[in-house]
Amino acid sequence: MLDAGSLLSHKNFPMQPSRSELASKLLDPSFVRELEVLRRRLEVRARSGASGEHAARRRGGSAEFQEHRPYSAGDDLRRIDWAAYARTDEPVLKLFRAEEDVIVRIVIDASASLDFGTPPKFDAATRLAAAFGYMALASSERAQVVAAGEGIVREETPVRGRNGLLGLLRALSTITPKGGTDLGRAIDTIVRKNKRPGMLLIVSDFFDSGPILTALSRAVAAGHDLALIQVVAPEEIEPVYDGDWALEDAETGAVVEVTMDAAALEAYALRFAGLCEELRQIARRHRATYVRARTDEPLEGVVRRIVSRSID
Amino acid sequence: MILEFAHSFGLTATNVIPSVLLAAGSSAPLDFLAPKGLALLGLLVPLVVLYILKVRRKRLRVASTWLWALAKRDLIARSPWQKLIAQVPLILQALALLLLGLALARPATRGRAIMGDHIAIIIDASASMSAENVLDDKPAQRIEIARRVAKDILSAMAPGSDAMLLEAGREARVVTPLDRDIVRLKAAIDTVHAYDVEGDLGSAVALAVDRLRQLGGSRRIVIVTDGNLASPTALDGVSLPVEVVTVGTPIENAGIVRVDVRSGTEPTLKREQVQAFLVVANFGSSPRELYVTMREDNASDVLASRKILVGPGERQPVVLDFFPASGDYRRGLIFDIAPHDKLVVDDTAFARVPAGDKLPVVYAAPDPSKTSPWIERAIISDPATSLKTVTVNDLAQPGGVEMDAFVVVEGACPSVVPGGDLLIVAPPAGPCFGTLVGRTLEHPQITSWESGDARMRFLSLDGISIARAMALAPEGPTQELIRTQEGTIATDISTPTRTGTLLGFDVGDSDWPLKASFVLFMRNLLEQARIHRAFGVTGPTRAGEPLRVRLPASAKEVEVLAPGGDKLDVSMRSGLAVVPETTRVGLYKFTWNGPEAGAMVVPVNLTSVLESNVTTVISQSGPKVDSGVEVRAAGAEPDAHNEWTWVLALVALGFVVADVWYVTRRPRQTSLEPAAPRKPPAPERRAA
Repeated sequence: MLDAGSLLSHKNFPMQPSRSELASKLLDPSFVRELEVLRRRLEVRARSGASGEHAARRRGGSAEFQEHRPYSAGDDLRRIDWAAYARTDEPVLKLFRAEEDVIVRIVIDASASLDFGTPPKFDAATRLAAAFGYMALASSERAQVVAAGEGIVREETPVRGRNGLLGLLRALSTITPKGGTDLGRAIDTIVRKNKRPGMLLIVSDFFDSGPILTALSRAVAAGHDLALIQVVAPEEIEPVYDGDWALEDAETGAVVEVTMDAAALEAYALRFAGLCEELRQIARRHRATYVRARTDEPLEGVVRRIVSRSID
Repeated sequence: MILEFAHSFGLTATNVIPSVLLAAGSSAPLDFLAPKGLALLGLLVPLVVLYILKVRRKRLRVASTWLWALAKRDLIARSPWQKLIAQVPLILQALALLLLGLALARPATRGRAIMGDHIAIIIDASASMSAENVLDDKPAQRIEIARRVAKDILSAMAPGSDAMLLEAGREARVVTPLDRDIVRLKAAIDTVHAYDVEGDLGSAVALAVDRLRQLGGSRRIVIVTDGNLASPTALDGVSLPVEVVTVGTPIENAGIVRVDVRSGTEPTLKREQVQAFLVVANFGSSPRELYVTMREDNASDVLASRKILVGPGERQPVVLDFFPASGDYRRGLIFDIAPHDKLVVDDTAFARVPAGDKLPVVYAAPDPSKTSPWIERAIISDPATSLKTVTVNDLAQPGGVEMDAFVVVEGACPSVVPGGDLLIVAPPAGPCFGTLVGRTLEHPQITSWESGDARMRFLSLDGISIARAMALAPEGPTQELIRTQEGTIATDISTPTRTGTLLGFDVGDSDWPLKASFVLFMRNLLEQARIHRAFGVTGPTRAGEPLRVRLPASAKEVEVLAPGGDKLDVSMRSGLAVVPETTRVGLYKFTWNGPEAGAMVVPVNLTSVLESNVTTVISQSGPKVDSGVEVRAAGAEPDAHNEWTWVLALVALGFVVADVWYVTRRPRQTSLEPAAPRKPPAPERRAA
């Protein structure tokens, strides 16, 4: 097994100075060791249609036996297990698990709202994106990074296998959070352009007043396996402000004047909880994953919750 | 502006309008003992200015204002007062500052809290309480101020206490027994009025003590008076705590303090003349120029008048006279001093025109030709008498004898003798007006006589020889007038309606007529009859006392009208009509039916120096304790127990604490967990 450092030190990556830098920034060795364990548990509930290394949920033709079933008229006679017929005198079919090619599409919110907090939410978002890119590539699957703002602002070419990791990390490291957000449009574009569904991992703060819910529903309807990762700063969950403030929106520049008394803070907290509840409901409805990642918590736990398909 | 603001809270500043408060005894809810403390309210202006400046908002860049905008909209939708709530710290701080300013001004309620489980409130209802003072900038009698003060006292009673209400006029009267119902007690207070009488607080205090003595717990007597105590010593030595609350302020007053009317003969014209003697007193501090007038009742013509100048503290006699006509006899006379002052009741006095200058004397004997010449001569020697000789039988005829004539009966003792005072001489043996006329005494020697009796005044019976006399046995020893060694020879047979004298011997059988003492004796009898004729047997009546009037014994259906026209209760017994109480000065009209039907007026006056002297009201300077009696003016400043400074300061502290809590409180956290009890609202989104 190779770790991310060894992967990045491979001689086919010419930009030697940036390898360790990228590794330390996005995937440190202890994190990679954790990812190596977790990647085996990562299950993708979508099929891309092409054969691959990843076991698909549907049964099909491959070397991996799954079960027997009684023969019925019209079944392919070549799939009858003759040895079993000789023992039981009953014709049964031998069924095998189909193995398919899986693509993990990592949609990272590159709007200005991610450039908030200490450390910035975008740092956590890119590390999570890198982690899932690593797990996909280490499993010889395909991974693709898509930067979303007011639509798709950047779409990388899908890469496969461990050899594609460096490109993926480079792509992530070159994304700069800026501009507004329209995740709904970005998701719709991805669904429309890619006929073969895959895992759709959306890393964002979801501070988007647009029709994101309908876009997510359409993605699920198109067969995508949805995973929502909400990256939030601690002060967004529990604001610590006091007094009279003019709050300026990082994306639109709009100003909202708020007197930070207890009533105002309570009202905000209630609205934030409403946003979380909305994401939680959409995850439940579509058997998707929803995980809330605080920037002040270790990302290993976040990744573990996503792999285990939990809903926060 | 501050004072206007304070007035809007029902507050007044003592040092701004102290005279009004003290003079009227009005009951403003609160007074400021240190109004300068209100200057602290001036800090409200910089406080508001600071808040205006403070709302300069700091700018903060956040990831998104989307949720903040929704939260702000929620706040406004939840409470329309949100903008006001945003200023809660300002409101709390302003209230705290306001209360501190008021506290520094030392607000205090007037009057003290009345402590005690059982309280007797005595309201002085004497004539001086009708003096005019000022209440709420309007003229009002002192009794009205006293009613207000009494209500304030009731309001200041401790919870659970009960109170009784007494009225101190000439006699004490319980208006309401002990009661806890404040509303009922206050309603009873409204029934208390001032009467034209000399008050007697002592009897009211005694009555209150008597009623409270049997009760347990703390007891207290509160007297509301103008301080013109007829008997200040009556309050000393009371076994219960006594508090005197004085009302009213000293006022200038002049009044008629004495009145007397006599009939005489004008020396020049030799005509009958009615003379009125009055004493006018000035209790004020400045000289008063007064017009004293005399007129008859129900007549507008002035019979006589005089202009007098009465110095401060001076009493000036005034004599007014007129020549009466025959129809004037026994009519009412009204004396008036003008201009009137704040106490009207003593500016008027009443009297009656005497019934002629000559006293009618009726001399009755079984045989009128054989009357005693000595007695007849003694009567005739008085020029102010008119003698009529009749038989004893004539006495029984209706109208034969004037109602107030002096009657002399010799040699007989009829059971009914009309007229006024009576002299019976040498009656036959047997009962005679309660005295038993017995055996004949030969040469009785006079040993003693009742020198204290008005009839025996100025005379001596020493050396008088009596040949024979009848032994008299009166009902009691106090009725003996002349005693001899052998027994009593002259007794007093007076009844409530007349003075009667019984001589048990014929004056012709003695040498008494030759002595000066006999003339004096007869003159004493006639003078007393003359006084009774003028004023009745009980003399002039003062307001508040029972009115006793001698009427014909045959009088029936007696009716008495008070000066105001009210019909009064009257009892009649043996020719004496008694009105139990006279609460007003004026002319009381008596009418009666019967064989000797008639009518008469009876004057009733105040003539009380103590009540007229309304210039001194005790203890206007503040509380003092003397002889266990605490005296306090109704408008006096309250003591520390009535200050509300500490209450306001506590409330202000409460506002400060509330402000600190509001500013520093932590908001309630809304759980982000799925099982949160309160379902958070989903954020509104744009349409696709």
